[in-house]
Amino acid sequence: MTDQARILVVDDEPQLTRVLRTGLKSRGYDVRAAADGLAGFEAFNDWHPDLVITDLAMPNVDGLELCRRLRAISQVPIIVLSAKGEEKTKVEALDLGADDYVTKPFGIDELLARVRASLRRASAPATNEATETTLDSGDFHVDLETREITVHDKSIHLTPKEFDLLVYFIKHSGKVLTHRTLLAALWGGNYVEQNEYLRVFVGNLRKKIEPDASSPRYILTEPWIGYRFDPGEH
Amino acid sequence: VAAALSVGALTVLLKTVSSHVNAATVSLALLLNVLFIATRWGSLPALAASILAMLCFNFFFLPPFGTFEIAATDNWIALLAFLITAVTAGQLSASAKRRAEEAESGRREIERLYAELRDAFERASHAEALRQSEKLKSALLDAVTHDLRTPLTSIKASITTLLDEVRGRVDSEPRVALDADLKVEMMEVIDEESDRLSRFINGLIELARIEAGELQLRRRLGAVDEIISAALSRAEPITRNHRVELEIEKELPGVRVDERAVSEVVYTLVDNAAKYSPKGSTIRIIARRSGNELMEMGVEDEGPGIAFDLRERVFDKFFRATRDGDVRSREPTGTGMGLAIAKGIVEAHDGKIWIESGRNGKGTRVLFTLPIGDDEVIDESRYTAATVEIQ
Repeated sequence: MTDQARILVVDDEPQLTRVLRTGLKSRGYDVRAAADGLAGFEAFNDWHPDLVITDLAMPNVDGLELCRRLRAISQVPIIVLSAKGEEKTKVEALDLGADDYVTKPFGIDELLARVRASLRRASAPATNEATETTLDSGDFHVDLETREITVHDKSIHLTPKEFDLLVYFIKHSGKVLTHRTLLAALWGGNYVEQNEYLRVFVGNLRKKIEPDASSPRYILTEPWIGYRFDPGEH
Repeated sequence: VAAALSVGALTVLLKTVSSHVNAATVSLALLLNVLFIATRWGSLPALAASILAMLCFNFFFLPPFGTFEIAATDNWIALLAFLITAVTAGQLSASAKRRAEEAESGRREIERLYAELRDAFERASHAEALRQSEKLKSALLDAVTHDLRTPLTSIKASITTLLDEVRGRVDSEPRVALDADLKVEMMEVIDEESDRLSRFINGLIELARIEAGELQLRRRLGAVDEIISAALSRAEPITRNHRVELEIEKELPGVRVDERAVSEVVYTLVDNAAKYSPKGSTIRIIARRSGNELMEMGVEDEGPGIAFDLRERVFDKFFRATRDGDVRSREPTGTGMGLAIAKGIVEAHDGKIWIESGRNGKGTRVLFTLPIGDDEVIDESRYTAATVEIQ
């Protein structure tokens, strides 16, 4: 990283913000901390960080509300810190546009890996959807015009819906995608509760693209939440 | 069959004594029998018995005897009257019996329904109570897990940061750069948060003891100023940045308490006062008489105070008044159990604890009462190791 990436940490627990500040600073990030959503939002407007790490349960403005407010004005990557037992809130945060989550307690490496992935995604050059005709990501090569896909240079035959699903996955590589997000993106708003739809399509897609569909390496399951796509190293 | 047998038996009996009784007696006896059958077995046997009795009456008791012939016209009338009376009386009494039975079974049905309804209601309210208690339990569990996980999260994040540095991961990018100060800071966090976990667990044990009614109080006559000075010397490290003033009335009588437990209460209140009021402000310790039987003790601070609607709830376990959320503050927050434990101890002494506003309506004043020791000698056996029930 040429410039120091700026990270805003929002948590009401002073000891944790203290640790995260030190841990992230030692990796060369520029860090600021805020104690609740309101202070976090103000710090964001003031400082324009490259990434926001936020706790969910906080006094005044909580993490969900912060996600909502940030998404209204910015596409900044958001990583949510959540605890076991907060699955519902976590999914809500992801639905509201958070990019990823880490479950407490976590090792600093886990958080750093998510931070790197989120920053990388955010800094990737934006593809011009209108003119772009091919999509290359990891083991995958997609021709959007002929609707042909190869995995490891092996051609795969997909139904139109499976093709759309895979393209959506590839375009959002590394990001946690909730069931709701995927359903809304591919089938529209009326289907957001139809998780079994998605399960069937993901199952079929896995059979076609995964070397071993029973232990997938591309379409990873995030239990109770959704899926995460890993295009593999090329 | 029983009806026929009884009519037959009665007829035989009456025949053997027929020389001594007249036809009217015989007919009345047979009528009685029909009534008896009707109340016992109902209308059909009564009808059969009526006809059988009529035939017997005719055959055996109306001249000429031994035939169904009847000589005199008035005997025809008597026989007819007998038959009608027997049938009517039989049917009436049978239907009365039926009604009585119906009424009885109706009553039983109502009783059964009532009992069923009551059971259902009891079950429902039991289930509701259970649901409430489960809800409370899960809320408490949430609070406990949150309080255990929070320090654990800081510890885990610190230790992994240190580990990375020690292992000197070459593949990590950007490179780890932890100077000595940062390392010390990480270790301080681990140290402080371990203490916090330990305090929390000790609090849990204390609370569990109080709730199980196993608080062991060693009550004896004690001096208020000694209790307070014990608490203050323990609190010395946390009150260094505050001014501590004593407002202890002169010549206070002794109190009949467990001194260590009450000293713990005072310590908790001083600790809270120091934690939630600005540096340099004053903490006052109060002890005074309240009537002839009670001692009033308390701690007052110049902090932000506690809102009226929270003044009861701060004594609930795991409840914490919203922290001011100052990130720069390095003071670990409380366990949410101190006041709950203090309340348990005070109530075990038959005292009360409550919150008021401090001087000039500012700050917080927590007061509690204790019984003043009698002049008479305290019966040690009565108060030593008393097991106290706490609601």
